[in-house]
Order: sequence, then C-alpha cells, then structure tokens
Amino acid sequence: MVARTHEPGLKQAHFRTAGLPALLLLPQLLILLFFFFIPSIRALMQAFLLADPFGATVHFVGFDNFKALFESESYRNSIWITVQFTLAQNILTIVVALILAFATDRVVRFQSAYKGVILLPYAIAPVIAGVMWAFLFNPAVGPVAFLIKSFGIAWDPNRNGGDAMLLVVLAASWKHICYDYIFLVAGLLAVPRSLMEAAAVDGAGPIKRFFQIALPLLGPTLFFLTTMNFVYGFFETFAIIDAVTHGGPAGATNILVYKVYQDGFINLDLGSSAAQSVLLMSFALLLTLLQFKYVERKVNYSI
Amino acid sequence: MKTFSLKACVGAAAVIVGLSSAAMAAPVEVQWWHAMTGVNGERVDELVKKFNESNDQYKVVAVAKGNYDEVINSTIAAYRAKRPPHIVQIYERGFMTMLLSDAIVPVQDLMDKTGHKVDWNDLIKPVAGFYSYKGKLAAMPFNSSSPILYYNQEQFQKAGFDKPAETWGEFEKQLYAIKKSGAAECGTALATDYHWSMIENYSAINDQPYATKANGYDGLDTEFVYNKTLVVPQVARMKRWLDDGILQIAGQGFSPEQLFTSGTCATYFASTAAHSGIEKNSKIKWSATYLPWEEGRQPKNSTIGGAALWVIKGHKPEEEKAIAAFFDFLAKPETQLWWHKATGYVPLTNKAYELAKSQGYYKESPTREIAILQLNRGTPTDNSLGFHFGNFTQSMFAQREEVEALFAGKKDAQQAMDDAVKRGNEILRQYERLNKGKY
Repeated sequence: MVARTHEPGLKQAHFRTAGLPALLLLPQLLILLFFFFIPSIRALMQAFLLADPFGATVHFVGFDNFKALFESESYRNSIWITVQFTLAQNILTIVVALILAFATDRVVRFQSAYKGVILLPYAIAPVIAGVMWAFLFNPAVGPVAFLIKSFGIAWDPNRNGGDAMLLVVLAASWKHICYDYIFLVAGLLAVPRSLMEAAAVDGAGPIKRFFQIALPLLGPTLFFLTTMNFVYGFFETFAIIDAVTHGGPAGATNILVYKVYQDGFINLDLGSSAAQSVLLMSFALLLTLLQFKYVERKVNYSI
Repeated sequence: MKTFSLKACVGAAAVIVGLSSAAMAAPVEVQWWHAMTGVNGERVDELVKKFNESNDQYKVVAVAKGNYDEVINSTIAAYRAKRPPHIVQIYERGFMTMLLSDAIVPVQDLMDKTGHKVDWNDLIKPVAGFYSYKGKLAAMPFNSSSPILYYNQEQFQKAGFDKPAETWGEFEKQLYAIKKSGAAECGTALATDYHWSMIENYSAINDQPYATKANGYDGLDTEFVYNKTLVVPQVARMKRWLDDGILQIAGQGFSPEQLFTSGTCATYFASTAAHSGIEKNSKIKWSATYLPWEEGRQPKNSTIGGAALWVIKGHKPEEEKAIAAFFDFLAKPETQLWWHKATGYVPLTNKAYELAKSQGYYKESPTREIAILQLNRGTPTDNSLGFHFGNFTQSMFAQREEVEALFAGKKDAQQAMDDAVKRGNEILRQYERLNKGKY
C-alpha cells in the first residue's frame, strides 16, 4: 500500500475531476450500451415470451421456452456438439500455433516471410474460407476429397456427421491459428535469451528447452489464448458453419450459436432463440469464470 | 441593374426548383422488397421499368433484400420499427406467418377498395388455392413454380429407354439400368429442396394426406400424419438409392444442378423455374416430364412453390392505389406471358396460358408447359390443394434433419418419419397456442 505513490505506471494515472475520465469512457460505454446491454436485456425479456415475429400476439410463458429446450433432443445434441467442437478446435489451434511459433522463432532465414504467410488466413473472410474448405473437401468435386478417397478412406461430410465435424473443426482452426500464432510469437520473444542459452550450454536440446523453459513462461499467453479460443468457438465460428455444413447433416455440426441463428432467423421462433442465446451467454460466462478461478492460479505471470 | 438581374436569377431559380420538385413529386412511389437474385433479379428490374414507363402516376421501386429468409427478416424488422415497405415478396412457406401477422392487407380487399375489377376465377387453381383464405385471395401470387423431372435424353436412349417411366416402380428400374449399363454414373441428383418435390409434392400427386384437417386448411389443430402414408417407403427408397449410388448429394460448395447439366446424373427433380439455368449451362441433350406417381393411382395435381407479394398495412390511400395499379399490371396476360417466358415460372392466369398456347410457345418449348399441365391435372383434393401450416419452415427443417439421420444410417425410415412428425406436431401446437382463435 505504501509503495503505491512511489510506483509509476498506468495504474497511477490521476484525474483531478471526474468529468474527463467519464468523457473518455463514454464512447466505449455507449457502444457497450447499444450493442451489448440493450440487446441482452431485450433477449432476456424475449426469452420468457411466446411471440408472433411481427409482434401482433405476445404471450408470457414463464420458463416454458427453457423447459422446451432442455426437453428437446436436438438442443441437448447441440450442447454436446458444441463441447466437442470447441474442445477439438481449441486443442488443434493451440498445438499447431505453438509448433509454428516455435519453428519460426528458430528459423534464421526468411523469418518475416514465413510469419507473413502464416498470418494470411486471418485476412480471409470466414465465409470465403468456409466455402473454400467445403469445395476442397466436397466428395463429388473436391481435389482433397479425391486424394482422401484415393487412399481408400471413405469420405462424405454430406452424409457422415463425423466427417462433417472434422471438416468444420479443421476449417475453424485453420482460420484461427494465425491469431494464436501472433500472441505466441510475441510470447516467445519475451522469453529471455540468456535463460535459453544457459540451458543450451547445460546440454538441453531444443525440445527440452521448449518444454522446460519456453512453455512454462508462455503460461499467461496460453491461458489468455484458451479463453479467447473458447469465445471464438462459441460465437465467431457461425459463418464457417453456415458456409461449410449449414449445421448438418442431421444436426451433426449444429453448434449452439448456429442453432440460435437458425431458430431465430430462419424458423422465426424468437422466444426459443432468445432463450438459447441467454443460455449460451451463461455457458460462456460460466466457463470464463471457471477458467479464471481454477486455471489462472496455476499461471505464473512473473519471469 | 446588378441587383435586378440577381433578383431575376434567384426568382428564375426558385421557379425552376419549384417546377422540378413538383415534377419529381408527381408519381406516387411505393417500395417493393424482393428476393430475386441473379438473372431473375434483372428480370424484376425490367418488369418494374415496364410498369414505371407505362404510366406517370405511380412508381415502383424494387429493392433486392437478399434471399427469402432475409426478406422476411428485413420486413419484420422494418415493421417493428414502424417503417415498413409497401410490398414484400414472401416465400410460400411463410403464408400462415404473414396471414396471421396482423400486418397485412389482403390483396383482394385492396383491389376491391381501389376499384380494380379482377377476375379471380381466372387464376390457376392450385395457385389461387394456396394463397386464399376463406375464399379470399390474401396475397398476390407472383413467382409460382412446381417441380418437374428433367432427364438426359442420350443417357436414357443409351440404356434403351425412350424417356422416364410414369410410375415410381418402373422409373426406379430404369435408373438402376442406366447406372448398370454405364450410360450415367448416377441416376439422379438430390435437389437442395428435395423435401418439396420428393415428399410434399409426392404426397399431393399420390393423394396421400400430409396432415389432418385438409393439410391445415380447416384449422390450426392440424396434425402431421405422413409417417403413416406412402411417404415412409418413399424416403426408404431414397435411402436405398443413396446406398446404391443411384442418388448423389452435391453438398455444400457445389450445386446439384451441375451434377445433371454436366452429365454425371441422368435425372434431376427440380422446379420448372430451373429451366433458365439448365438451358444456359447444359451441354447435354435434355428434356423434362411429369413427376412420377405410384402404380395404380390416379395422379392428382402437384402443388406450387415460389413466393407471393404481400401488402403491408398502414400506408396512405394514394399509395394503396399505386400498389393496386401495379398488381393490375402484373395480372395482365401480356405481363404474365413475358414473365413466364423470361423466367420459367408458370403463368398465373388461364388467359395468359391460352395466350402462350395461341402463340405456339409450347410447340417450340414443350417442357415449359409441363408444370402448368401438372398443376391443372384433375380436381384438387384435400390432399393436393396445398399446405397451410404455421411455422412451416421450422417443421420442414425438422423433417430434413430426420431424413438426413436416415441417410446417415442412424435411423430407419419409419423411425425417422415418426420423429419428424413428432417434432413437427410440437411446432404446430406451439403455433396453435400462439394464434388460437385467429384462423
């Protein structure tokens, strides 16, 4: 506490009046108000209603929309699908991004060229990426599908739910690897060279150095990325699902966020869709809180 | 002098501004939100241009709002924000949603009110039947179609057939023979709207009840019953075809029409509106015929798909007049015929159809007549008049999911249809609960 006044830094910034900070916060608060709080509150209200989409007839139905969801097999299926999808996507993204980051960190020549190429997928719109993946793996015309089939492996994401899931996990991860990669490259740069060199002098190989030194020091970054990957999987993969599978076949890739869209915008069942989005937000919130409570403790922030 | 000329200039400018604004304000403008994209979108623009040039009182502004789902969502959003367009094009599945929305003016009322005399009896029956409520036309039919069977003539001949057989049993044998003889790699390509041709129209043509209460026409307490009809062996047949390589799914990123036009598949069940696309893209020799029916049954009429134009309520009287004038223009046989030829959608009135016949249009393009003949075949029964189900898109989605489960081998045909009916009925009950007493 005593150290407070002596320690410089952002935390110590002081404003004489309340006016200026309020003014500086205002733009962000307004954005949050209009694009988050108002829609969230309206969704919460809508979740307890059975309503005509045009608003002509509205019945208050209490928890009926929620009850119907938990009784619905397709909703339970959607939860399970979402768990599988986000976990698989998360693991794949982090592992590949780690390998790439560590590899480019060690490369001496053309390092920036490699980095540039790896970042490219981030610049591609999710829908375009989705259409591309769907086409490449289309069993009737896709070149990659032909390659898979030439190895004698059955491949049909139009009929087989497992294949479809694999395809959307690959597409979603491919799109997001570059995001994780940037953070990991930055994280690796922050690992003190002296530590690595000392380890090398002591005879530790690159793999050992990675697991013993780099990985623990990347802890905070990895923790942050896991949280972000879950958020990405929960909410931002919508466009990819829409372009690659439309949630099918037979609901095999119908993750929660896609189901919210489908029930709300295609089926015009606003009450159920609102209830689903409330639940989805609670799941995401719960997961983030759990991560902060249990995982963050194990993360070592100081070097 | 200077001041004088300046004044004169200002005066002249004011006159000009006044004149031009008066001239610009003259035509009453109405907004029309539609879902026609690509070639058909260009046709809509032409259509509107024709109307706008035909008179100087009214002006229609056509706005493409994306696909059908996007149009209905934009309409809902605009209506709730109290700034709706005048006319919206809504797919046939949205009939009940629009009818009971309390947001529309029935077209027949609008035409009566504005003093337009329309011979409603001249409308082709399944079209009028689909968009009518209690004997009154609720929406202006616009782009109506019906599924027909396109086939590759050379591949049929190669396998020793003239054309597709009339009944499903014989047709199935032909497809297996075509594959076996190597004339084509696959028998038929699964259309993206297969539920419409292979299940709904299949029920209508074979006079199978799809639901109780005359497929929803007689009440909101209708219940799906297609799990107890020939639909079950029909979807089982589709699964069999899929397993045997007779049926191919194009999947995402690729259109099933291409499977047909490239010569991979010998047949394609699709809307008559697919004509323009197939004519443009195919290098094969093709023709078309009626959808098959089951052996020993008298085939009934098929039902329509496509969309209709709804009038949103609450607009000014002169704008309603403009809407009515536009609809009057749309219903003219000449307009109908032009639209029919330009797009492949069916003409909506018998007069337009007669006009096309008298011009010898079907001698040069015989396949364009199939959908009309099929729609007009026999007297419609309770099972073939059409489908009036609340939240029909939602129950159709559930049904498709169950058919996909059947295709994936997770369920058998009976189980899949039982589950589809069960889910569909829950959707119907929710709709009934919401709209009790309104229908």
